[in-house]
Amino acid sequence: MSLPVSQMWAVASYVVRQKLAGRKRYPLVLMLEPLFRCNLACAGCGKIQYPAQILRKNLTVEQCLAAVEECGTPVVSIPGGEPLMYPDIGRLVEELVARRKYVYLCTNAILLKEKLEAGLFAPSKYFSFSVHLDGLREEHDEAVCRDGVYVQAVEGIKEALRRGFRVTTNSTLFDGASPLRMREFFDEMMDLGVEGMMISPGYSYSKAPDQEHFLRTQRAHDLFSRILSRPKRRWRFNQSPLFLQFLMGKQEFECTPWGNPTYNVFGWQRPCYLLQEGYAATFTELLETTRWENYGKRSGNEKCRDCMVHCGYEPTAVNHTFGSWRGFRDTVAATVTGRF
Amino acid sequence: MTDGATLEGWMPEIGPALSLAEVVEKAFDYRGNVTVIRTDGSETQGYLFNRNADGPVPFVQLFDLNGGGPHTIFYREIRTIRFTGRDTATGNSYAAWLRAKEAAKAADRAEKGSGSTPPRGV
Ligand code: SF4
Ligand code: SF4
Repeated sequence: MSLPVSQMWAVASYVVRQKLAGRKRYPLVLMLEPLFRCNLACAGCGKIQYPAQILRKNLTVEQCLAAVEECGTPVVSIPGGEPLMYPDIGRLVEELVARRKYVYLCTNAILLKEKLEAGLFAPSKYFSFSVHLDGLREEHDEAVCRDGVYVQAVEGIKEALRRGFRVTTNSTLFDGASPLRMREFFDEMMDLGVEGMMISPGYSYSKAPDQEHFLRTQRAHDLFSRILSRPKRRWRFNQSPLFLQFLMGKQEFECTPWGNPTYNVFGWQRPCYLLQEGYAATFTELLETTRWENYGKRSGNEKCRDCMVHCGYEPTAVNHTFGSWRGFRDTVAATVTGRF
Repeated sequence: MTDGATLEGWMPEIGPALSLAEVVEKAFDYRGNVTVIRTDGSETQGYLFNRNADGPVPFVQLFDLNGGGPHTIFYREIRTIRFTGRDTATGNSYAAWLRAKEAAKAADRAEKGSGSTPPRGV
């Protein structure tokens, strides 16, 4: 794992405090979406499929800060839409850093160089760019449906690193991804000097018989095993090693849908970052009135059966690390040996 | 997201074969503006982003065409909902993208041209 010690400490002490307080459900990372607009139109992206008046909407910085205050997570991730198109992104990040929140600004990096040159941000241990890259040039440009985006993103990454910013990457992998090319991608990111990488399977949902669900899960485990087996020592991941083991089929986890709650222009999204089954006006209302028993693999919900996405399972992995000796031991072992 | 079939233009009549709750669910899933027709004949157009059928007083919530709101309308006030706005999800699934790409590649092969990325709209 490549997280700074101060960040690991902030998360660990937060989790311990929640457990000591006897909280059954607590969030770890707030997914804060201040807008849905984007300068890309990736196929299948539900975030941008709205009428114009919705795409024009922005949360105010005050609404964002109130949401951060209300749910209290130590980490705030800002996806979107494209957050670099949010008019107040500089002030929002500054305010969050002042509150000692660890901020991940998830960007496709098309505007990154321009915004850095405009002096919009200041480097901080609390602030990272998380650049969306779904593989090497060919794979990434295909995933985002536009040629040249990979090159722009790499330019942005280089500029951010040159200016002393923390930079990570986040990659979504679908069935059919090439393990060899992904391993080459990891090498390339390490050569660039990024702090760490995050990977997750994409979310897909289709009604299918049990056997097909089983095969899909097996295929996903197989893909991630081939990508992550015999990992190179130089590869650094900015996520829980137990989550990576889960992707490889080495850990049995259940989803923690309240772990990464989502707040956007509609309110608090039920039940998770992926599914939109309604909105609550407050975080407390979200926690208290969502029928959590209807979500996760064990619920039998068709929409959850094939899901292995980080926003549901990474919080489980983190809880496992701090909630059991076995989890703690497995995390330490994977961190020390660099093997999953 | 929808891919192919769309409810765009649908003007359902609520009755024994189709309940208001069913239409509300479809409007909630719909990625375009709708027109809510009240029992008194007045109309509100906008994006229906939320509904709560479980509470003591079931309601829907919309942002209007100017982005104003949220406007809350109770189920008991609604006669029907019309799917009047463009469905922004139609044809924009990843599967549709792959099909378009394959078709473009096939066309390129036929013309012996280079395999460029086909354009897509949202
Ligand atoms: S960059 Fe992200 S938000 Fe923008 S269209 Fe692609 S997937 Fe959607
Ligand atoms: S399993 Fe996936 S889709 Fe279901 S609630 Fe969890 S994160 Fe959401």
